[in-house]
Amino acid sequence: MEQILANGLYLGAQYALIALGLTLIFSLMNVLNFAHGQMYVFGGFVTYTVVAQWGLPFVLGLIASAIILAVMGALIEVFLFRPVIRKSKRDESTMLLAAGIAFFLDAVILLLFGEKQRGVPKIVNGVFNWDMRIIMPYDRILILALAIAMIAGFIALMQYTKAGRAMRALAQDRVAAQLMGVDVDRYSMIGFALGAMLAGLVGGLLVTITGINLGMGGPTSIKAFMMIMIGGAGVISGAIAGGFILGMMESVGLTLLAAYGDITYLVIFASLMVFLAFRPQGLMGKPWG
Amino acid sequence: MTKTYAVLAAFLLTIFVLVPVTISATGRWDLYYTLTSVALLSIGAAGVWLTFYIGRINIGQGAYALMGGYVSAVLMTQAGFSFWATLPLAGIFCAAISVLIGLPILRLRGVYFAMITLVLTEVTRLTALALSITNGAKGITSIPLPGELSIFGLTLIPDFSTMDSPKPAFYLLAVTLMVLTYLVLWRIVNSRLGHLCRSLQQNEELSASIGVNTAYLRVLAYAISSFFGGLAGAVFVAISQSIYPSSFAVTDSVNFMLYCFVGGLGYVGGPILGTFLLYFGWDLLSAAKEYQLLIYSSAMIALMLVLPNGVLSLFDRKGRRK
Amino acid sequence: MNRRTILKTTALATVASFVLSGAVFADNPVLKIGFVGVTSGPAAAWGTSNQRSMETRAAWINETGGYDIGGTKYDVEIVSFDDQKDPKRAIAGMEQMAQAGIHYVVGPNVDDGAAAVRPVAEQNGIIYFPYAFPKELYTAPASNAVLGMVANYQSGPAIYKYLMDNNGVKKVAFVAANESDPLSQRDSGSAAAKALGLEVVSDSVTYQVDTTDFTPVLLPVIQSAPDLLVLSGVSPANAPQLIRSARELGYTGLISTETAQDAAVLQEGAGELANGFISVGGASTPELASDAMVEFVDRYTKMFGEYNDESNTKVYALEYILATMAANPAAIDNVEEFKTTMDTFEAPNPYMKGDAKLKYVGMTSFGQKRQLSVPLVVNTYNNGAFETLFVAQVD
Repeated sequence: MEQILANGLYLGAQYALIALGLTLIFSLMNVLNFAHGQMYVFGGFVTYTVVAQWGLPFVLGLIASAIILAVMGALIEVFLFRPVIRKSKRDESTMLLAAGIAFFLDAVILLLFGEKQRGVPKIVNGVFNWDMRIIMPYDRILILALAIAMIAGFIALMQYTKAGRAMRALAQDRVAAQLMGVDVDRYSMIGFALGAMLAGLVGGLLVTITGINLGMGGPTSIKAFMMIMIGGAGVISGAIAGGFILGMMESVGLTLLAAYGDITYLVIFASLMVFLAFRPQGLMGKPWG
Repeated sequence: MTKTYAVLAAFLLTIFVLVPVTISATGRWDLYYTLTSVALLSIGAAGVWLTFYIGRINIGQGAYALMGGYVSAVLMTQAGFSFWATLPLAGIFCAAISVLIGLPILRLRGVYFAMITLVLTEVTRLTALALSITNGAKGITSIPLPGELSIFGLTLIPDFSTMDSPKPAFYLLAVTLMVLTYLVLWRIVNSRLGHLCRSLQQNEELSASIGVNTAYLRVLAYAISSFFGGLAGAVFVAISQSIYPSSFAVTDSVNFMLYCFVGGLGYVGGPILGTFLLYFGWDLLSAAKEYQLLIYSSAMIALMLVLPNGVLSLFDRKGRRK
Repeated sequence: MNRRTILKTTALATVASFVLSGAVFADNPVLKIGFVGVTSGPAAAWGTSNQRSMETRAAWINETGGYDIGGTKYDVEIVSFDDQKDPKRAIAGMEQMAQAGIHYVVGPNVDDGAAAVRPVAEQNGIIYFPYAFPKELYTAPASNAVLGMVANYQSGPAIYKYLMDNNGVKKVAFVAANESDPLSQRDSGSAAAKALGLEVVSDSVTYQVDTTDFTPVLLPVIQSAPDLLVLSGVSPANAPQLIRSARELGYTGLISTETAQDAAVLQEGAGELANGFISVGGASTPELASDAMVEFVDRYTKMFGEYNDESNTKVYALEYILATMAANPAAIDNVEEFKTTMDTFEAPNPYMKGDAKLKYVGMTSFGQKRQLSVPLVVNTYNNGAFETLFVAQVD
């Protein structure tokens, strides 16, 4: 049982971090970023290149991922999303753009980094073993700690800095924020860059444990969608809750339902649909997203 | 109005006469399958378009295409039904299921509905893997070609397996279904039902307050949409003579949505054009080898920047209809 | 990243120079061979190694003056179609091959695609070489598909038998991704293990291919205490993670799979935890590789920057097609001639030391010769490289 909870916690922390970036972008611009998973993969490959190919320290790899993805996010917002949102009759048109960007990143990743699975050698060796009740390799514990630290840092940033306040105001009411003198364009850009950076950082963190490959983008986006549906779209606390809940569900479900064959994910998906039928806005979301 | 009929007549003439003539003249037999795919996918996309029409983003059409395919396959291989009987049954089955699923989830709006329909495709795939009637992971293979369709001894459609090549037959079947689908769609849009749907798209609360039964309308539109999905899936199964849980995947659901966007959400014919452009675009780009996806996606992004309201908005000088 | 760009440019330049030199020197007629498979998107790894093997071999043939079929030297051109792992696209790809007058196509890479192209291939007289295992593709009345590799229901029993006899394995557990190909392979593997008298302690655990943490997946499997853990149909991307999680959970028994893996991927993803991992590969280990195989690996590496060990098993399909045509030149555009020749065809295997033969097999599994005889080389991974455990043949 302890092992199941520990697994759930570890999964939950990484999921929450993925969901945070997605929900931030959504809350600011009402854009469902289909390319989020691809940004995560890109971040992973950047860290891989820096650490495994150039032989530089892991921290530098993480920083490189963060910077490159932040710049990419900012550029995507300024040159792609902003003009489309301005010209389009419907909000939904951004979905096509996001899907196009997802395909584009897939193609770029294939050309730049190749089709193979990549991984960075373990950064810490050894396995923590508490009497066979909890078994957790040290590198996972490190990643778990880093992920929780990043979540805390992100919350602090949103809560206590000027940019954070501005972004929260934007998420609450775009027009009102604008009237209060918030530079909407500037903070949309910063928000998108921050969201993309988070995706890249998670990719960089996880490349040491799960490795990275071209195919992880799309499924990661879908998982992130599920998390923000559970928690409520566009709500920071919701994304964190959604991440941890999904992590726990997977961990518990895989153990309890193992005997029944291939149905764990079916059960997770089905219960999600039932849950949303009763609570359409998720746990903490605003009604009608 | 006469102009519209002229366009329509030209379109019908093209697909039923010009295309087959051109193909047999040039010998490009491979075009038959490509065009058949375009026609079938645009039937599915028509359903997605209709859900857009009531203000819902539907990224779950692949689920119904898969269901329709399985219904047709199972009925043909295990109950000995003729393909022609399974075709409407596949659609009706999907419509019935979509009522059950739609009642709860159609209460969701915006991205919530979009995301849950995305999950629906995955649920369907996993269900097909887990059930025994679908033959699980092994799929259903060696499905017979469509047989003869006759009424009172009069052969309406000959047995596909007796033809030299079933390709033209499948093409004609697909485009006929496509034309029928879009006629239905056209009729819906220009009827009282269509006006009510538009009122839902613009403001659901308002239309409910003036006495529109919004819940009923939503489910009805979604059921029709899913019917189209099931139809498309069933014909695909007849062509490939096999079906697997992965025959329609999340990618297909996303593609159905993209077809609608590219063509233009404000136009009944939008999905046909969108499907044609995206599907053919990919095929044409296969000459670019490893840069195929790069060029394809760049073109998509560029298209979005230039024409965010769809290709058909090019002709939209006065903003005919929103 | 810079390094990769340079590699890309060199690769392009190499390809270009091959094309140019081909155009300048050769008046040889061109023989087109098709490839329909997945080379973009999530599953790109499956088809890419396949396509690149063919491109490498074709460039090599063309550089050395063409392939001799019935006294005429042919240049080989590979026509590729990316089906995006979508069976509906795969049909379109096969149609395109038919349109281009191509009669021999390598691919598709997965079960659903291979089944979907069957009607088109049969209507258009195309022989295709899928990397998919469903038996109905290769047993009569189907006759146009030729299995391009060793199926897991052939290699699995051989591996289990070997480990029973040599390592005293008694209890075996299976895990598979919840997709068609791996699940089918798990079912047939489990049945084979039972037939051999092994105790199957767990064969119901599955995982999503996008799983980022395999600890919860493997926990119940490891608790069932198997001696051998079989990763059915595992993709090269998931293999290192599964191995790592199993070892970190304290599992000390054997781990094996029946699919081909890449040593570099295992090295990066699992490091020394992957030592002892048993997989099926081609004849590229130093004990077996002939000079031709070494040269192939060398050329592949030059052309595409990095070799992929999965290509060891994928080098064969093109070789078989050409060699069979050489044996019966009438087969060049007549698949019926090709099928007749398949029954008797035999030629030396250029990629293996010793007197191994190229021939068509499959009588036991399919009742007709619809499989390439690829050496069943079972490898163990050790510190960044594969070592041959044993070699067997399929009949």
